[in-house]
Amino acid sequence: MRKTTLKSFCAAIPFIFAGASASAADVNLSGFATITAGSTTSSEELYDGYTSDLDFNQDSLFALQISSDLGDGLSVTAQLIARGEDDWEPAFEWAFLGYDISDNWRILAGRQRVPFFMYSDFLDVSYAYHWISPPNSVYSLPFDTFDGIGAIYSSQIGSVDSTVHFIAGRNQEELLLETGEMGQPDFKNIVGAAWTLSGEWLTVRAALFQAEMTLDVPQLTPLSQGWINAGYSDIGANIIADKDDILFGEVGFQIDYNDFLVVAEYTHLDLENTGQPDQDSYYVSLGKRFDSVMFHVTAGADDDVQANMMGNVSDNPAFDGLKAATAGVIASNKLENKYLTVGFNWDFHDLSTFKFEVTQFDDNIRDVNDATLVKLALTTVF
Amino acid sequence: MRSIKFLYLVSFLTMFCVGNANAEITVIVNQANSATLSKDDVSRIFLGKLKSFSNGDTVMPVNVSNSVATRALFNKSVLNKSSRQVKAYWSKLVFSGKGTPPKEFGSDAKVKAFVAATPNAIGYIDSANVDASVKAVFSL
Repeated sequence: MRKTTLKSFCAAIPFIFAGASASAADVNLSGFATITAGSTTSSEELYDGYTSDLDFNQDSLFALQISSDLGDGLSVTAQLIARGEDDWEPAFEWAFLGYDISDNWRILAGRQRVPFFMYSDFLDVSYAYHWISPPNSVYSLPFDTFDGIGAIYSSQIGSVDSTVHFIAGRNQEELLLETGEMGQPDFKNIVGAAWTLSGEWLTVRAALFQAEMTLDVPQLTPLSQGWINAGYSDIGANIIADKDDILFGEVGFQIDYNDFLVVAEYTHLDLENTGQPDQDSYYVSLGKRFDSVMFHVTAGADDDVQANMMGNVSDNPAFDGLKAATAGVIASNKLENKYLTVGFNWDFHDLSTFKFEVTQFDDNIRDVNDATLVKLALTTVF
Repeated sequence: MRSIKFLYLVSFLTMFCVGNANAEITVIVNQANSATLSKDDVSRIFLGKLKSFSNGDTVMPVNVSNSVATRALFNKSVLNKSSRQVKAYWSKLVFSGKGTPPKEFGSDAKVKAFVAATPNAIGYIDSANVDASVKAVFSL
């Protein structure tokens, strides 16, 4: 999870809360926390940041949310999260001003979550969904927030609630590259919308987003130059991400009927001409509740597709080195895996749940990455 | 859970009695509120989906806290959700910054007093506590 540091928002706070004078507004404080302990089942296995040593920090977090109703439809909300994997350093995940133009339209301005997925809105609130955290295959985009404007249109179509969430903005937060270094991306002109229809027990959703991506990946830059020098400037341009348009699409549904739960999501990320493979990811999850206990099983996969970008390169052996190096870097980014998670939840308290999960992860390309991960968690809201 | 089953048994038996006077909970609004409301409207109001009364005023729903029996009965018979499902529903809205749950009061008496004093308030109390200070919308 990428986040903004406390420093960059300290400047904004006085402005955000300037309107919230003690008499006019009430300030609400709420929060949620998840303490997770996990470990893989054998010493060679590494998965999801876990090793075979029991780790309490990787997925644990503590969050505080401050919101203030400034009256006349204006409100301000900010969420501060401290994550174990970041040494428990608190940072503002998002902070925005909201304004209710009418009963149907709400405008948000500031740093917000991108509504990529069904659970994007409450990504870190383990209490709100049945897993300890949402499935890796789908919920693993390089960023989940943006700075900009959001508009939410809520209406009713018959007895079905419809919500369309439009966004426009930008994301420039540094992200961790495959190599372990930090990259400085620029996802500009992020535009798109997510449409959710919820009936009594069925919810369906579809989302589409586009952005202009620029990201400097240190290994690809010299290769790109090599191709340009070799006379293949189009390959040189295609293997790096420089103002390239990328597209993201999602469809999903959730059935919550009596004590049965079925959720599935499919996502497609089109990264053509950025040097990264296109990503197809999906999962299906089934759950059954028995009073305060729930059992669930989830199956998912990542299936990346890499178009052959060097198809028109001549067979001249002079290009072999460049071809091999390029193919190597691209292949290292390609994901092809599947996983199965089996879990059990116990709502031992109205505001808290105990969760237990075992995940079997199979990497179809690099068997050495296969792993079995066991996680236990306590989640709460307050 | 046992108290709910008992209430259901009492409700079932009182169905055979004449008139609304024996219903368990009554949804109330301010005396000056002329709006018409169905059970579905009330459910949508308390889930933050319906924001205005039919007369155009913004709604202000108020709940009684979870420790009072009326709340669980309201959750089950009007919202069709358990207390936990209601909490999870509001968690999703609160922690995405998209909504805030209704105010809560510690007792039926406080709910009644608030509704009596606030023109656009809507709440629910034990039917036995209804009096002339508030207007009854319907009973369950």
